Parts: sequence; structure tokens; C-alpha cells
Amino acid sequence: MPPSIHPVDLISALRQKHLTPAIVFLTSRRACDEAMEAFDHANFVLPTVRQEAIAKALEQVMAQHPSIAEHPMIPIVQRIGVAAHHAGHLPSWKIAIEELMRQGHLDAVFATTTLAAGVDFPARTVVITQSSIRKSRDFTDLTAGEVQQIAGRAGRRGKDHVGFAVITPSPYIDLSVLTKGLTGQPEAIDSQFTISYPMVLNLLKAHPHEHIQGILAKSFAQFQLNQRAEVLEQKLDVLHSKMEPFGPRVCTDWITQWHTFDHARRHRHTRHPTYRAEPPEIAARLPFLTPGRVVGFNRGRGIVLRQYRSKGQRNSMLTVLRPESAVTECPVTSIREIYDRTYDCPETSAYPWCSTDTFDRLSHQLEELPLRLPLLPILVATDGEPLPDAIVQSLEDFPCPTCPSRSACHKDFLTASRLRQEQHRHTKSIQALRTSLWHRFQERVEVLQKFGYLTLTTQLTAEGEWARLIRIDHSLLITELIRAEAFTGADPSLIAGILASLAHDDDRPGAFPRISPGLSSLLGQVRKLAESLSPYEDPPLLRADVAALVERWVADPTLTWIGLCKLTTMAEGDIYRLLARTLEYLSQVQTLNATHPGLADTAAQAITAIRRGVLEELP
Amino acid sequence: MTTDELEKLLAQQPVAVLHRLARGRVHRHFRAGKRRLIELLLQHSSQNRAGFESDLLTLIGERQANPPSESSRRPGAPPIPHKKVVTKATDSDPSDPPVSLTEWLQGIGVPTPQPFVQDPWQIEALAAVNETDVVISVPTGSGKTYVAIEAARRAMEDNRSVIYTSPLKALSNTKYAEFSKIFGQDKVGILTGDRQENGQAPLLVMTTEILRNLLYDAASGQIDVRLDTLGLVILDESQYLADPERGVVWEETIIFCPSQARLLLLSASIGNPQDIADWLTSIRTTPCRLVRHSKRTVPLRAGYLHPNGRLTPLFRTLGIPQGHPSHLHPEAKHLFIEYEEETLPSGRPRR
Repeated sequence: MPPSIHPVDLISALRQKHLTPAIVFLTSRRACDEAMEAFDHANFVLPTVRQEAIAKALEQVMAQHPSIAEHPMIPIVQRIGVAAHHAGHLPSWKIAIEELMRQGHLDAVFATTTLAAGVDFPARTVVITQSSIRKSRDFTDLTAGEVQQIAGRAGRRGKDHVGFAVITPSPYIDLSVLTKGLTGQPEAIDSQFTISYPMVLNLLKAHPHEHIQGILAKSFAQFQLNQRAEVLEQKLDVLHSKMEPFGPRVCTDWITQWHTFDHARRHRHTRHPTYRAEPPEIAARLPFLTPGRVVGFNRGRGIVLRQYRSKGQRNSMLTVLRPESAVTECPVTSIREIYDRTYDCPETSAYPWCSTDTFDRLSHQLEELPLRLPLLPILVATDGEPLPDAIVQSLEDFPCPTCPSRSACHKDFLTASRLRQEQHRHTKSIQALRTSLWHRFQERVEVLQKFGYLTLTTQLTAEGEWARLIRIDHSLLITELIRAEAFTGADPSLIAGILASLAHDDDRPGAFPRISPGLSSLLGQVRKLAESLSPYEDPPLLRADVAALVERWVADPTLTWIGLCKLTTMAEGDIYRLLARTLEYLSQVQTLNATHPGLADTAAQAITAIRRGVLEELP
Repeated sequence: MTTDELEKLLAQQPVAVLHRLARGRVHRHFRAGKRRLIELLLQHSSQNRAGFESDLLTLIGERQANPPSESSRRPGAPPIPHKKVVTKATDSDPSDPPVSLTEWLQGIGVPTPQPFVQDPWQIEALAAVNETDVVISVPTGSGKTYVAIEAARRAMEDNRSVIYTSPLKALSNTKYAEFSKIFGQDKVGILTGDRQENGQAPLLVMTTEILRNLLYDAASGQIDVRLDTLGLVILDESQYLADPERGVVWEETIIFCPSQARLLLLSASIGNPQDIADWLTSIRTTPCRLVRHSKRTVPLRAGYLHPNGRLTPLFRTLGIPQGHPSHLHPEAKHLFIEYEEETLPSGRPRR
């Protein structure tokens, strides 16, 4: 048995059960075309009456859209009453098929799933052959909403009593996805709010900076974030009531107090290091050699940056800041004097063991020290007992051991501290949810300031005034190209080519043998700029083949549509869409006629040059 | 987590968890076995290890939070007897005999033409759109366009201008042609990225991006007379709000829509139309009305066509058993299992 039903058998089966007209949803354009080819050798011919009806209906469409007159699919569609309809076709051909379907002349249409979202022409039956669709290179399962959108095409109002959704399996189909989709509720939709550069410029043009936060708060994104924040707030309320028994005790913040105490108690052993083989007079000095302490050597003075122990050294070691910003390592034994003078020196974990600011300040202070400094009298312990660690609190400093609520604290600490951590976490997330949009807006503002579209007071600069009119994808790249004068003096065809490579976001392979040197060098320039802008904006695909194709179409007015299609492996529909999108980009550039009259003029020329043949005939 | 640890963790999970992980990641084959599924998942996880692990951990967390329901419980654990009785009592469905093919195919055909009667939801929506913003969420093919046309007609009779937007240029063109036929060529105009006709007409069809741009220009002081007399904005296919690339345009349009204009959002069935309505209420001057229903105008039946040409109903019931995806027709189930067995690549263990 074949992995999936043969298209001819499928249509025959549907016909026999009176389930036509039907829309058969297939995985890819190729699958649609192959399904049509399958009819080539089949004994599958419509009665003459119906063939004539199709021809007549097609003639009517042809009157409006002459470009389909020569369409290679016309004979087969007439013969079998089945057609393919996908994004690879010209819009005019798709309109023709839709019209045939609406008038009820066709038995079936092979379509890709993208159709389900687009143009609506219903049928009696939809046939589903797959449970996943290709979304940006990867296959993902259909959502319930998508399954229902597909099934929604079944059953024509006023023409059918019932609609049918027929599932026929193909390899890798997952039946449960489809049955769940058919029987389930459609998914909730989520906001996809993003903040783009033109949005920032347009908002700041119309509203003062301090009003923007209020405007962003009106978005559906913020509405949904608030919903999530409210859930967290409810959780927080619950936590608050749970925290009630753990309110203030003898100490107000007993959780932190107990935490420190517990920590100190557990780590007591490591905090009091083992006895070291250091003479008492050296050991007595150690507690004083803390970061920031001024010490004297045989020659000159220094400021301690850190104290550490090193494996190769018998004694504790010091890192010392010496005059002229020199940093030296020396054993504590080399210290002659310890002065009664310390500077503020917060320790950091890496060389030079304090922040650069502190380092500069300390070097400065070291130079400025007076000649004489008071010495620090150091008492040497007489017995061998180690001195208590001066920096760390000892257990005796805690009130806890003798506190009346000690046992209660001990018992409740784990629960209370877990609750409190949760509280902190929720509070932080709520804050993030409330302010994330605003932060994203601010990030964009900073980038625009950096590139000079906004002043430091978030007013639009002269550049920003015109840049806000470019409201398409890759707007930053386009405005930067205009500022870099990349388009100055370029032909309409060059500009159209570059904008085409910016506009085209499809990665289906295409081939185009020759590319003009001018376009190729300009494209190189654009690539370089796009790369340098990549931290701020996702770079476009910048395909050379689509650029060359559009350049050719604009530059050579004698080129026919068929000639253009022969130049590339791209499908007709894709070429059409490419040119239509290029038109859109060009018309955005054309709006800059006040500030860039030359460029706008070239763009206008390119627009008129593109609009010919098939592109003129269609809206 | 190392690959070995991950593999071990995956192996400890029940197959259901693995299938949920596999969703949207790999092609899972329900009869391919756990081993193979883990292999595929590991292969996939090399691309985005962190994301994969965090998903796995959430799933495990969820599972621990709500322990698996009765149906997926292991055979060793005895089901709670009284609960089973209750489910049986409420679910009398599976005990009914499944629908037969002839029954299923009955009723095919063209209904006799009937005079057009407004659906109750259409009356409700049209009454509401006079007073306030309206969100409509109904299944595909319920007659949303009728509401759009009637609402536009009424607004134009009051000398208010109307803007109708759709997400696709092709759709805009179709609607332009359709509206021109109804209201007359001079009453309708179109503005898309590459087409501008009759731009001062009282009813303008455009893509949503164009309306967004108009609203931005108006906000920054470029006066557009069309926006002053604007009485109604119809946003068709509003479920595009969730489109990853273009959804933001719908939000911008709604945020900046002039307050004197009524908004009419037409959308296919979505899961949370109430959220959209609440959102509109929170940012617009009048409370938004939600009109929704999930019943299709033309009822739907689902079938299963086996590659050998055999057709059976897909579900036990004639219509779609809402909320019961497992109520499959025994024959369809049998045929599909057979199909999976046949197409199973060789060398895999069969259960």
C-alpha cells in the first residue's frame, strides 16, 4: 500500500461520495504540483459540457487579467476540473481559480495550508493530509486554531447542508493533533508587541517623552503583562497571610538575624583558621593588615590591597600599592611599620583587588601622605591563643543564644525564609512585568541617540525627522544607508535591486547567473553596514540573486514577464511578491521628497519602471 | 546537565511527557517507541540545550504538581472505584453505537434557497456597533462580512466615514471589488502599499499598515481630513494581533484610533476574545461589547479516508464531539493503526 492515497484515487473517491467540490490541503507547493502531474496519464476527463463551462468562466477572468491567457495549466484544468492554488502562482491565476471555485466549476483544488489564513473560498469538503506545517524551516504541529481555520472552509453557506473535513493519512501524520484540534477550543492569542525604531521616532515626534510610558501602558502587551502581574500579586497576598505568624519577634528582622547567626554557627570552624606557624608578633599584626591600611617598609610606604596565603610562602602575603601606582606582593614579615591610618578600600575579587576608581584614588592619596604618621601600637598576645578574628563577628556578639524566642526562631526559620524568598522573587517579577516595555523603549531610545536621530533630551534631530517616515523592516539599515549616501547618484535599477534584497525574506533557493559589477559592489557595502548594525537590528538576507533580478526588470524595459521568469528558478508568484514588496519599500523612500529630493525622484522612476506588464494589470 | 544525565532523566519520564516535549521539536511517531523518541530528542537538544532542559524541568514540575489523571495511571495503581462510576454516568457517549457511513453521508446536497435572515448574533452586533466598540469572534464562514457591510452602510448614512482594513493586499482588493459593487464605485476607495484609488471616498479599504501610518501622521500634526470625520474603523481578521511579525501593527492602530470613531474588530474563533474586549474597555472611552459564538452556520462532520480508498466517519458521533478527542470511530481507529503499522520503517520494534 502506498504511504498516502494517490491524488486521482482521492478525487475519484470524493466524487463518488458526492463530497466535491473539495479543497485538498497539502504540505508544500511541490506536493500540489506533483498532485496535478499525477493526472497526466490518468483516464480522468470531464464531460464536454463542464469543460465548456470552465472555458467560458476563464474567458471572463481573462478579460480583466490578460496575463493568464497563456497559462500552461489551462488545458489540464479544463480537462480534469482540478487545479492547484498556492503562493507560487501569480495573483491573477489564483483569482481565476478562486472564481472558478466560487462558481462551482471545479471539483477540487490542491492548496498549501497558507491558503487557510488568506483568501476565502469555501468548498463542501476539506481534505487534511498533515498535522504539522513548515514555519521558518521547522515543522510545527498545527494549533487548534489552525485546524479549525482549515475546517472552517468546509461547508458553503446557502449551498451545503453540511460541510465535511476528511483526514487522509500521510507519513508522519499525528492523528491526535488533528482530533484534538477539531474537538478542542482554539488557543488564546498573545500579544506580539515589539518596539521598533520607527515606532520610537513617531511616538516621540507626537508625544513628549514623559507621556510615552502611559501610551505603552495602553498596549495589549501591557494588558497581558498586567494580567500575569495580577496573578503574582494574588500569590503575594497569599504569601503575606502565610507570613503573618512569622512577624517581628524579639528582633524586628529575626529571619535575617537568625540566618546570619545560623551561618556563623555552622561555619565557625572554618572562620577560625588553624594555628599557623607564625611568631606571635607577626600574628598580632595580621588583623590590622586589612585593605586600605597604610604600612611602612624599609624604603617607602604603601597601602595594603589584600591579604592572602600562598602555598609557596611560609607567612601570610600582602598585595601592596606602592608609590607610582606600582602593585607589589610581599610577605607580612617585610612590613616595618603599621600606621594608624586607613583608607576606604572595598575589596574586589580580581586584580588589582579594588575597583579602578578606588585604585586611582588610593595612588593619589599615597602620594599626598604627610611625612610623619602616627604608629599603631600593637599588643602582642602573651599566650599562644589566637586572637579572635577581628573582622568576623564571633558567636558571642549574637543575641540569639540567650534570646527567649530562640527555639521558635530555630523551628520556623526554614519555612519563614523560604516564604520570604518567594516573596522577594514575586515582587521582583511583578516589577519586571510592569516596567519591561518601558525598558525596551528606553533601550531603543539609547540606540537612536547613539546614531544621532534623537537628541539627549529625546527630541527628534533633523535626521530623525525624515527617518521616522521609513516605517518598514530594517528601517535602521535603510536610513543609515541614506545617511552614508550609498544611494547618491545610483540608477533607479540599482536602488530597486538593493531594496529588493532588503525586502525579500524568503530563503527558498534561487539562481541568477549574472550580476552587474555596480550592484555587486553596492551590495557588498550594504552587507558591511548591515553587519556593523547587527547588534541593533537583525540583518536582512541580502540575497544577490533577487537584487539582480529586480535590477534587470527595472533596467531593461524590453524585458517581458516570461523573459524575467526564465532568468531565475524562482516561482512566478514569488517574483511577483518580490516586486510588489520592492514597490512598497520604494514608495516609503519616495516619501522623503522634502529632504532627499534626488533620491525620492530616483525611487519614483524605479516605481514607474517596475509597474509594467503583469504588475500593471493587477492591483 | 551532561548528555548522559539528560538521557537518564528522559528515560525516567513517562512517554506522555516525552511526547509533549517532542511537540514542535521532532517528528514523533506514536508507535516508534520510547528509546527512539529519546534518541530524537537528544539529537534535537544539541541545538538549544538550555531551552530544552528548562522545558523538560517545567514539564516535570507540572507533572509533580498535578499528578497524572486516572486514564494515564499505570496499570499497577488501582483506580478509585467510585470515581469511575461517576465518569461513566456522565459520559454515556461511548456506549452508544458508533454512527454508520450512510448516516454520516446523509444530507449532502444543496439546500433550497431561503430568504436571508439575520442571525441573532448579527443583530446583536449591529445594534451594539452604533453605540460602542465591538469585538466579534465567530467561526470562519459565519457571515462576519455581512456585519461589516451593514455597519459601514449605517455609518455612511450618518455621514460618517468608514475605514475597513484587512491584513492582506489580496483580501483588500477582493473587498474593494465587493464593496464597489454594493455601494457604487464613487463611494469606495482603496489605499495599499502600491495602489491608491479614490482616496477621499467615504468608505476606504486599506491594509492595516497604511491605517497605522495615517494615524501616526495625524498624531504628529499632519492633518488628514479623512480622520476628522472618521466614524467607524473595521479591522478584519483581527486574530492577526497574534502574528509574530505584524501583530504589533494592530495594537498600534487600536491604541491610536481616534476616540470619536467606533472600532469593530472581526476575528475568527480565538480562545480569549474576552481579554481583547477587556483590553479595549480599559483603553477606550466606552465599554467594549463582545459578540461571540462557536456554533458553525453549516454543521461540520469529520471523516477518515484510508489510502486504499475506504471512507469512514472519524468520530463515533455524527457531529464533532466537542472536548472528546478520543471518541474515535472504531473503524477509523482500526484503519489508522493499521496504517501506522504499515508505514512504520522496518527494523523498529512493533508493539
